[in-house]
Amino acid sequence: MPIGNTQPSVRPAQAGRAGGAAATFSVHRGGARPRRAGNGLRAERFAPYVLVAPAVLIIVALRLYPLLLGVNFSFTGDGEQNGTAVGFGNYRELFADPLFRTALGNVGLLVLLLPVAVAIPGLLATFIYLRVPGHRFYRSVYFFPAVLSPVIVGAIFNLLLAFDGPVNAVLGSVGVSPVDWLGDPDVAMFIVVGVHIWATFGMALVVFLAGFATLDAALLDAARVDGASLRQVVWHVIIPSLSRTIQFVFVTTMIGMLTSMFGLLFVMTSGGPEGSTYLPEYYIWIQQGQMNRPALASAASTILFVIMLVVGLLQIKLLERSGRED
Amino acid sequence: MSRVRLGWWLVAIPMSLLALATIYPLLFTANVAMKTRRDYILDRFSLADTLRWENISTAWNSVGMGRYFVNSLLVVTSSVVLLLLLGSMAGFALSQLRFRGSSALFLGCLAGLFIPFQVIMVPLARIMADTALIDTYPGLVLVYVAQFLPFTVFLMTSYYKGIPPEIIDAARIDGNTVYGVYRRIMLPLGTPALLSVGILNALFCWNDVLMALVMMPSADHRTLMVGVTSLRGQYSDNIPTFASGVLIAAIPVLLVYLFLQRQIADGVAAGSTKG
Repeated sequence: MPIGNTQPSVRPAQAGRAGGAAATFSVHRGGARPRRAGNGLRAERFAPYVLVAPAVLIIVALRLYPLLLGVNFSFTGDGEQNGTAVGFGNYRELFADPLFRTALGNVGLLVLLLPVAVAIPGLLATFIYLRVPGHRFYRSVYFFPAVLSPVIVGAIFNLLLAFDGPVNAVLGSVGVSPVDWLGDPDVAMFIVVGVHIWATFGMALVVFLAGFATLDAALLDAARVDGASLRQVVWHVIIPSLSRTIQFVFVTTMIGMLTSMFGLLFVMTSGGPEGSTYLPEYYIWIQQGQMNRPALASAASTILFVIMLVVGLLQIKLLERSGRED
Repeated sequence: MSRVRLGWWLVAIPMSLLALATIYPLLFTANVAMKTRRDYILDRFSLADTLRWENISTAWNSVGMGRYFVNSLLVVTSSVVLLLLLGSMAGFALSQLRFRGSSALFLGCLAGLFIPFQVIMVPLARIMADTALIDTYPGLVLVYVAQFLPFTVFLMTSYYKGIPPEIIDAARIDGNTVYGVYRRIMLPLGTPALLSVGILNALFCWNDVLMALVMMPSADHRTLMVGVTSLRGQYSDNIPTFASGVLIAAIPVLLVYLFLQRQIADGVAAGSTKG
């Protein structure tokens, strides 16, 4: 049906309309979305590209291109050898560096602690979903640290965990000798990871609750009528129905541990004591900013990226398999 | 009415303790910020005798937290405005318009989600240095926009997918160009999603420290979070001033959280369930 020249009362200034409004036809050819035909205006045909272009250009130029550049960069030398190909020289140097090895060891520790970091918010979300008295209050309190910057969290815990700080003061009052929480190489990494979990479990909690919102309440009612215990409900109803959410939380928690602990490390331990709290991201920053070894840092970046890909894919594989066995 | 009967006390006690452990560190910090140095050294836990603002004003003025605060505000506001504009434009096109290559472009945007900043830090710093954007506000804004745009495009696209195409057709029949549809229909209809994504992005940018450290080397360009990291070295012997600096950085986030908690949680939830 041809439409008359309906002029919009307000003309968009930026739209380059060639002359008056051309007759526009709307032709329905089945399908959910009618295809627009007959708008012979070139500007209109290019409009989608104009809308998408800025975002795509920025993402390509400042995300995808640097990734390739960085991988390429990791095979070149630093300093004297700037720009010359050194093959796997940087990678060999990395694996010979005890600091980097510690960083990789700490990644292993994070992987081991991952189930804890997922189980805590999962369990709390279950209780909140089952409407423990005061569930609204718990929900908003638990979520709060998740919006604080790791830098602020780290600074607050520096205050609390200082050798002459309040935590040791409390311990001292019950007769325990003070602990050097952030100065003992065997303790510091666990403290930093613990603080990270404390600060981020609220995010995972909200994700779990969003997953619960899609859960069929009839299932739970049925389980309750059949007299299932809480443990049986969690094991046989909740975990199988939420397998996708659990998978998502596993992956995002791991990525969070690998890429958002910089602020904590920087403020709480600066990689110390004795390099015991290094993680790849901190190593990258030190090599680039302090040691002026950009190519070596690029090699560490590439390894971090590979670790993330491998861990992510492994988790998805493992969780899919366990999901099928149910 | 709870859905499953269980020994509530078994759950309520640890949950309350955890809630306390969640709030207490910030309350402690706020209390310390109100005390004199002498009071803090004598007794770490006693309540401050009065609301004492001089530590806060010391941190704000002589420590320079005020300056950093303004820097952060400037960078974060510009970043969020740009993110929302570019993200909603792309989201509208990718969800409602048909054009050749749209799915490839969408995947390209999505690929950016899986590249953390740490992985591209070195080459990105080099690109910024080569274009003379390093250590400038526009440079940092651009880095933030690039960092959070994939997520923004993703969320706006999935939100706009829920808008019936008939609305757009009707607007076209009324003589709107595609740009007119974007401005008059998509932006107003997108308000709830824009609000959620905008707040989340504001938090991400406000809380970032690594990008700001790498891209803004000079001291007077520092953002607030970089300012917090420099507190430790300077004020390790003056804990109340240190605590005040931390508090200045935390209060805006606390306020946003108190008033917009729902939108933040909605944004997080949308990001997880659409995946």
